[in-house]
Amino acid sequence: MNSELIRFQQEKKNIEKQVIIGSGLSLLSVILFVALINYGPWGLILLVPGVIYMALGASKFKKLSNKFKHEVLAEVITKFVDEGVFEPSRGLSLNTVYATEFLKRADRYHVEDYLAGKIDGVDFISSDVKLEERHVEHTKNGTRTYYVSYFLGRIFEFEFNKTFDGYLQVLEGARPHSKRKYKKVKLESIDFNKKFKTYTTNEHSAFYVLTPHLMESLMDFEKNNKGKIYFSFIDTKLYLGINNFKDTFELKMFRELNESSFEEFKRELYVIKDVVTELKLNNNIFKKE
Amino acid sequence: MDPIFVVLIVVVVLIVVPLLWYIGVMNSLRQMEVKINEAESGIDVALTKRFDVLTKIVNTVKGYAKHEAETFENVTKWRAGLPKTLSLQEKQEFMGKMDAVQSGINIAVEAYPDLKAEKLFSNLQASISDVEEHLQAARRLYNSNVSRINTVIVTFPRSIVAGMIHMEKKEFFEAETTKREDVEISF
Repeated sequence: MNSELIRFQQEKKNIEKQVIIGSGLSLLSVILFVALINYGPWGLILLVPGVIYMALGASKFKKLSNKFKHEVLAEVITKFVDEGVFEPSRGLSLNTVYATEFLKRADRYHVEDYLAGKIDGVDFISSDVKLEERHVEHTKNGTRTYYVSYFLGRIFEFEFNKTFDGYLQVLEGARPHSKRKYKKVKLESIDFNKKFKTYTTNEHSAFYVLTPHLMESLMDFEKNNKGKIYFSFIDTKLYLGINNFKDTFELKMFRELNESSFEEFKRELYVIKDVVTELKLNNNIFKKE
Repeated sequence: MDPIFVVLIVVVVLIVVPLLWYIGVMNSLRQMEVKINEAESGIDVALTKRFDVLTKIVNTVKGYAKHEAETFENVTKWRAGLPKTLSLQEKQEFMGKMDAVQSGINIAVEAYPDLKAEKLFSNLQASISDVEEHLQAARRLYNSNVSRINTVIVTFPRSIVAGMIHMEKKEFFEAETTKREDVEISF
């Protein structure tokens, strides 16, 4: 693994150099333009090659990131996850994303880094999801349309075979987006109620599913993961959303790729293991007979 | 300002506003009471289910846990189901007795690995643990509603309304009162 990381780090460094040179040329061009303003637009002559060189670098970086996912991460994932499938270019279907019932319909979306498999015998699927809302601004110069992300993170779907009546959502600073008649319910833990809002269509089921132990586990999970955490228990599925405004499994530009940064990729996988073990999804009562 | 208008404002402030507030608090207390009754019937359902499953378990282990089977046989007054007039205290006692019988059975069957491996018995054990989880959920929901209404009843100024409609603090459904008692309980 070490030699492979070194190879990728070297390739990454070369691309980063290209991006730096491209940016440098663009910046120099702007400076020249300002300095030689009296001589017309000649100062901008370096801008076009600068931008092109920078864009080529960025595109190469994207390709390298994909290559890294296919060649390095895919291998790690298959070792960590039983029957593991990792497909960087695809993601969860929009149907699955909205089946969570905690995300509103997006005007624009992007999904990638599909990861599926079994951990401790528990089936799961997941992917990076980016959801954006369109905003239209009317100014005196006309209309400006822009998009604002309201969810950027990972969505997971786990098998959850503890049968109960109704539907349940445990959300951090959010509300359900569904036609079902969810009601807010308060559980006996003050800390839990402070951290999460619980919505259910059946109060008894909320208390049945959210045992004191499970509440404790959800709180621990929230503590260990940055961003907003959303859980929903719909039919035989447990959906988890981590809205941390982070693009998972991506190489970072200008950040050295070494063993410690590589560990961070692995940590993303430990999140899945955490959910399965902490929430005891691997307990036989939650598995299909 | 017109004196009649001033008098009208004073009347509104002194009578109508407190009256509306009184009605609001009274209604919310009544609604909470209804929720408590609903939650209590949830406990009844769970207790009845538990009794049914426990009856099946007792029938299965009769030959292995004679003492527990006999003890359970003595609970004749519940055989027709949980009486509607049962007080909360009696329900707690009932739950405690079932806890005792069940823990006795659990200890007794430890000595019989064949029985534990039996499909019917393991299915019944899974059922009883699920029924127990439902019972715990019903109990927690009930207590959560009780806690909410009790908070209102003791908090000034809403305590005034609670006093006026003779609403008293509700009793919690305790879980562990009789659980640790000796298995030999006379019914």
